[in-house]
Amino acid sequence: MRIAAFTLVLLVVTACASAPIPARNPYANRPEAVQAGAKLFLQHCAACHGADASGHAAPSLRRAAVQSLPDPALFSFITNGALRRGMPSWAQLPDERRWQLIAYLRSLHDD
Amino acid sequence: MGLLLALLLCATARPARAQESPYFVLYDHHMEEPGNLEISLSPVLASPRNGPRSLATSLELEYGTTAWWTSSLYLDGASATAGPSAFTGFRLENRFRLLMHEHPVNPVFYVELADTNGADRVAKEIVGFDSWRDFAEPIREARTETEREVETKLILSGNRRGWNVAANAIAEKNLAGAPWELGYAVGTSRPLALAAQPFECHLCRENFTLGLEMYGGLGEAGNLTLSQTSHYLAASVAWSLPNGITLRLSPARGLTQTSNRSFVRFGISYEGHIR
Repeated sequence: MRIAAFTLVLLVVTACASAPIPARNPYANRPEAVQAGAKLFLQHCAACHGADASGHAAPSLRRAAVQSLPDPALFSFITNGALRRGMPSWAQLPDERRWQLIAYLRSLHDD
Repeated sequence: MGLLLALLLCATARPARAQESPYFVLYDHHMEEPGNLEISLSPVLASPRNGPRSLATSLELEYGTTAWWTSSLYLDGASATAGPSAFTGFRLENRFRLLMHEHPVNPVFYVELADTNGADRVAKEIVGFDSWRDFAEPIREARTETEREVETKLILSGNRRGWNVAANAIAEKNLAGAPWELGYAVGTSRPLALAAQPFECHLCRENFTLGLEMYGGLGEAGNLTLSQTSHYLAASVAWSLPNGITLRLSPARGLTQTSNRSFVRFGISYEGHIR
């Protein structure tokens, strides 16, 4: 029972401590992060956005509308998704991997 | 038949991969991605305090209906070291995410309809006064008992710095008129590495997630108690492979005299995109 109580306390503490989103991608301009992001993209995103991110069942991520979003906005969108419009939340990926995904998206050229 | 259907679906699905949770009993707030189908086989080896061990297996088909709604069908079976094997019933589960944005604590409503018999030993949740005696009863006799149940859960879960912490409040009712049975599950998990490596790898730390779960019964509505209830503490690990397959393992130890001595849960799942 003590363990259950401890876990519940941990849950509450977790709930109360929301992390601020950094203003810039901590993985920006790191080639290995772009590579890692490309791998993560193929694993998690390519089924909907296409293997080259040019769009499939979901929109292209090479569009200016996406590329012009600031890093925190893109991070927030990947974290929250747009559940009513079919984009899932990717909050189950650790922050580091979401930033690596953004590093990869930034490496894509506009159409 | 169920296995055949699962193999057919595997053949037509493109592999997809999420960061799989290591939990077996506990639910977090992460839903199946829309259009993804996950096929899981989860054997459970139960060791009662007295009587033969039993092996139960659950075949699960989990589908992301929308980004906020996940549906699952379970087909269950059981066998004991002495006696016959039996199909023990099916369960239909739906989970609905209640808030459309990520919050520090995210609530999910879970509802399940189950048509099983008394030999069902998958133990996906422990409620009421469940005890090791339920697992020691011979399958031949237990399978004659029909159990049509509705089960609800309030899932609360949040992520912080790579950690997931989750808690489930469980209420289950036998539609034959029994009182609501109550239970809980709590736990936490974390991947071994938070950032991904720049190359595909099988054994690197990012592919492993460790977890700790505790679950048990809390008596019945009107008789909320810890007395004569079962409680378990389980460690768990999930190993997600790049090809969409996840392997999981969770040994659990009974914490009270009413509990089974132990459970050992295994899981193999494949996730693919079919839409």
